[in-house]
Amino acid sequence: MKIVVCAKLAPDASDIEIRSDGSISLERAEWRIGSFDLPAIEAAMRLKDAHGGSVTALSVGPQRINNSKLRKDLLSRGPDDLVLVAEDALTGADTAVTARVLAAAVRKIGAVDLVLTGEGSADLYFQQVGLQLGELLEVPVFNAVSNIEAKGSQVRIERSLEEETEVLELPLPALLAVTTDIHTPRLPNMKEILLAGKKPVYEWRLADLEMERGLEPRVEAVSLRAPRPVERKRILIEGSPEDAAQTLVGYLAKEGVV
Amino acid sequence: MTENKDVWVYSEKPALQAELIACARQLTSHTGGQAIAVVLGPRSLAEQTLRQGAQRVIWLGELASGRLVEDLVPTLAAGVQAKTPFGLIIGATIRGRAVAGRLAARLGVAALADVLEFQWDGPALLARHMVFGGGAVRIDRPLASPVIATVGQGIFEASALQAQPNGEIETLPWVEPPWQAAVIERRSRAVSSVNLSAAKRVVCPGRGVARQEDLSMIEELAQALSAEMACTRPLAEGLGWLPRERYIGISGAMVKPDLYIGVGVSGQAQHTIGMSESRVVVAINKDRHAPLVSQSDYAVEGDLYQVVPALIRALKARKA
Amino acid sequence: MAEDVFDAIIVGAGVAGSSAAYRLAKAGLQVVMIERGPFPGSKNLSGGVLYGRVLHELIPNFWESAPVERVITNQVVSFLTADSSINLDFQTEAFNQPPYNGFTVLRARFDRWLAEQAEAAGAMLVPGIKVDGVVKRDGRVVGITADGEEMLAKVVIAADGANSFIAQNAGLRGKIPTGQAAVGVKEVIGLPREVIEERFHLKDNEGAAYNIVGYATRGVPGGGFLYTNTESLSIGLVIHLDALVERQLKPAEIFEDFLAHPMIAPLIKGGKLLEYGAHLVPEGGLKMMPPLAADGLLLVGDAAGLGVNNGFVVRGMDLAIGSAVAAADTIIEAQAADDFSAARLQSYPARLEKSFVMQDMRTYARAVNFMKNERLFEAYPALLANVLTDIYRQEAQPKKNLVPTLLKNLKASKISLLDLVKDALAGGRAL
Ligand SMILES: Cc1cc2nc3c(=O)[nH]c(=O)nc-3n(C[C@H](O)[C@H](O)[C@H](O)COP(=O)(O)OP(=O)(O)OC[C@H]3O[C@@H](n4cnc5c(N)ncnc54)[C@H](O)[C@@H]3O)c2cc1C
Ligand SMILES: Cc1cc2nc3c(=O)[nH]c(=O)nc-3n(C[C@H](O)[C@H](O)[C@H](O)COP(=O)(O)OP(=O)(O)OC[C@H]3O[C@@H](n4cnc5c(N)ncnc54)[C@H](O)[C@@H]3O)c2cc1C
Ligand SMILES: Nc1ncnc2c1ncn2[C@@H]1O[C@H](COP(=O)(O)O)[C@@H](O)[C@H]1O
Repeated sequence: MKIVVCAKLAPDASDIEIRSDGSISLERAEWRIGSFDLPAIEAAMRLKDAHGGSVTALSVGPQRINNSKLRKDLLSRGPDDLVLVAEDALTGADTAVTARVLAAAVRKIGAVDLVLTGEGSADLYFQQVGLQLGELLEVPVFNAVSNIEAKGSQVRIERSLEEETEVLELPLPALLAVTTDIHTPRLPNMKEILLAGKKPVYEWRLADLEMERGLEPRVEAVSLRAPRPVERKRILIEGSPEDAAQTLVGYLAKEGVV
Repeated sequence: MTENKDVWVYSEKPALQAELIACARQLTSHTGGQAIAVVLGPRSLAEQTLRQGAQRVIWLGELASGRLVEDLVPTLAAGVQAKTPFGLIIGATIRGRAVAGRLAARLGVAALADVLEFQWDGPALLARHMVFGGGAVRIDRPLASPVIATVGQGIFEASALQAQPNGEIETLPWVEPPWQAAVIERRSRAVSSVNLSAAKRVVCPGRGVARQEDLSMIEELAQALSAEMACTRPLAEGLGWLPRERYIGISGAMVKPDLYIGVGVSGQAQHTIGMSESRVVVAINKDRHAPLVSQSDYAVEGDLYQVVPALIRALKARKA
Repeated sequence: MAEDVFDAIIVGAGVAGSSAAYRLAKAGLQVVMIERGPFPGSKNLSGGVLYGRVLHELIPNFWESAPVERVITNQVVSFLTADSSINLDFQTEAFNQPPYNGFTVLRARFDRWLAEQAEAAGAMLVPGIKVDGVVKRDGRVVGITADGEEMLAKVVIAADGANSFIAQNAGLRGKIPTGQAAVGVKEVIGLPREVIEERFHLKDNEGAAYNIVGYATRGVPGGGFLYTNTESLSIGLVIHLDALVERQLKPAEIFEDFLAHPMIAPLIKGGKLLEYGAHLVPEGGLKMMPPLAADGLLLVGDAAGLGVNNGFVVRGMDLAIGSAVAAADTIIEAQAADDFSAARLQSYPARLEKSFVMQDMRTYARAVNFMKNERLFEAYPALLANVLTDIYRQEAQPKKNLVPTLLKNLKASKISLLDLVKDALAGGRAL
């Protein structure tokens, strides 16, 4: 089975700096593989372990995602190779543009049986790109997939919907956006990290994907700001547990909430 | 695409559909078009939807057995292409997200996801939503039409049912999807019917709780306070100690209780966005530098394994 | 996979590890560097002054591409009492000319950059893996283990910092006794660039380094520091462990007092806490140095006990780089001779002996005991402050001669004249 797994490399939300005017800066943020994309990589590896084939990791974004740390990070989790489309024209790309570039890359990879994506990207978490990508590829596409069993040219999947679990069978090729608890992602070990440095990385340009059209943005971000902070009393209670508990109950009584 | 000014809405959940209709009416009061609801289901549902305030209903008939809600995508796409509404608002359930994403791809636009508010900047529509897991608020302006957006439950308020609806019911030809998934099985999951959004007091354990069996201690605290048990996402998803309906945050429940107590909760933005409107916030944490401590009214610095039992005793002593 | 044997495995990608990796990789050796943090520098208590001379020799004009914060143009020694401060200010234009004397750096960025230079030179970096110990065969170190996996090499370099678990595991040293270690507590406080430049009278990328003695440590031997970065301050205390234990003081308490001191508080006012942490600092000194070479193993940087902490200056990064270069050059020779025995590797300590590293270690050898002298931290700053207060206060009358003022205050301070002379002599030798 030939699997492509899409993972977004994005600035870590916990590194956001809030400036005094409420604007935010991501300059110092560490870029990482989205934590909700790691289960997708793991799911791809489990399928390969069970049925053979290959796993290609695919990520698109600005130039800065093409660095040795992120490449190694992705490849040390098991994929055989990595395709990167890293151009600054893709900075802040909307979901439609991202899905288009991914679709062109998947077509160029060719003869793909299964494309996996995470539940949502670490920065936007719009839970959109996978669905759009599947539709652009004109293959069966489902989200919230919490289990995948391959059976020849078919897959049987479980979807965890809000109130029910749905078991479906669909023909391959297909696109599946997986849940975060489909599998616990593995931690790469020393040998895999070393090996990762030697695996092939294909750096494709937008021009290589023959994408003359379709890159104009569909959505423009007008502003990005920190949420308005809620004023809190910020009273720190220290001391022995008994004293602290007494003090707290006293305060809560005054607030009228106990 | 020449535009008309209508706004369509669709959700497979009738309660959410009613909220979307309210949203569409708000938008059309500006665009000048009609709020039109798409209905997949029995005719009675289409009539019910008119009473919910839809000015017109596009009724697609009942879903054939063995078919999925998602199968309406080609039909909806064809309808939108033919009628060119201003926008289409879809309920942000899992199926709704699938419909919105696939539709957006077919129509060559990007869906606005999980919109919290629409604003107008002259003729331009703006949509506010959270990014970076609640760490930032982004305002987006769609540049392509139609506008496709998903909106979750509880964002807009449904209006009261109308006794005398006067909208029309029309239909759209069904377009067969190019592929089909076979439905093998449907199991409903035991959903504990908890309505966290309505709770007055909430006790929320986080990863600071080391073992599942220790949750009984937290439950005892919740009982002493007559509070609902909630949790952070890792406890529900991943550890599976509590049902998913109980986690608070951007991808979970939004709560506004009078009292929220976070026990061993660090207070990452993805979580706090779901409880920041609580009236009184208490943090119990052994690390005074935990973000929740600086976002609380009262923070007890200490080991929850000592503080919680002491707190239960103090509450019981007060009652006695 | 057939079992690879690398030329060298380096444990720890701090300044020592990356410098060694860089040198070895440049010489064409197959080097693997293993770092427990998710990236180099992530576990390092960020901030500090890098005395750049030796790095300039390894990577000429490194400041042009390295993420350095500010050039230190202003060295200040501050003596604090509970409510006053006396500053010795030293500025010279020479500090502001290449090759600059010192830079402030934030370790999370700097260590990462240095590791990237090593990678670009051909070294392989394995982040996110903690090395559990060395692998020995026939008494020789032949590799390392991590998570139950072995990785083999002709030589292992322990560059894993002050606690060096690797050196302990290989039997070269024990744990650092509390009498020979200090604890460093530190915060990085964010402030806008203009505010820093105004408060410290700096322009462009000029920087100030304050080394602080006295009340800062509540009389516990140690010292404080405050360095200016581009948009933050690194502020910290280095406190001797044994005194802390003896007096049952918590570093955090002393630190809070320090930050509230009338000299410090206005400098950090309005700042935002970006990072905090505590770290063991070997106080250095020759007697703390373990054997530096064994069969198949070399120790560098803090792992080798190379560090200077004399209360005025905390130094270790440049010594770490110097030792890494010496170790790498030794290995390049050993590789040529295909001999990694302890006997062959003894040329490493010999090399160090000749370099600035051991010369500086000797110069400061006496510093440790001198700095443990409590009079220096409590009585002398108070004495100085009283003398200066007297001198400046008596405006209405003609100023008395300095000597009687000093003697009057000395008498009141209960320091014997003999102590004063002894300390002055010891200090002259040690510093
Ligand atoms: C896109 C995205 C969406 C997400 N959505 C959500 C969401 O909707 N809801 C959500 O909750 N999370 C969500 N998360 C996860 C979120 O980022 C955090 O990882 C999570 O909220 C942390 O949970 P926690 O506070 O329980 O655990 P931790 O962050 O591990 O914090 C544990 C805390 O317990 C304290 N502690 C430990 N032991 C003790 C003790 N003995 N006594 C007292 N205190 C102790 C620690 O000091 C620490 O502060 C999301 C993440 C992403 C990336
Ligand atoms: C508070 C404080 C202030 C200081 N200020 C200055 C200053 O201003 N100027 C100056 O020159 N020096 C200063 N120093 C000293 C300086 O920090 C050290 O001398 C220097 O960092 C030593 O470098 P190193 O590479 O030997 O060790 P480290 O920088 O400690 O690096 C060791 C590396 O090894 C890694 N590691 C450890 N164990 C393992 C393992 N088992 N497996 C894998 N990786 C491992 C660590 O994560 C780390 O990255 C200061 C020290 C402190 C504590
Ligand atoms: N730039 C990208 N490169 C690769 N995969 C992506 C990219 N953006 C999104 N994805 C994938 O699509 C999923 C949903 O993304 P989003 O719609 O942004 O929440 C993610 O979990 C990824 O698997």
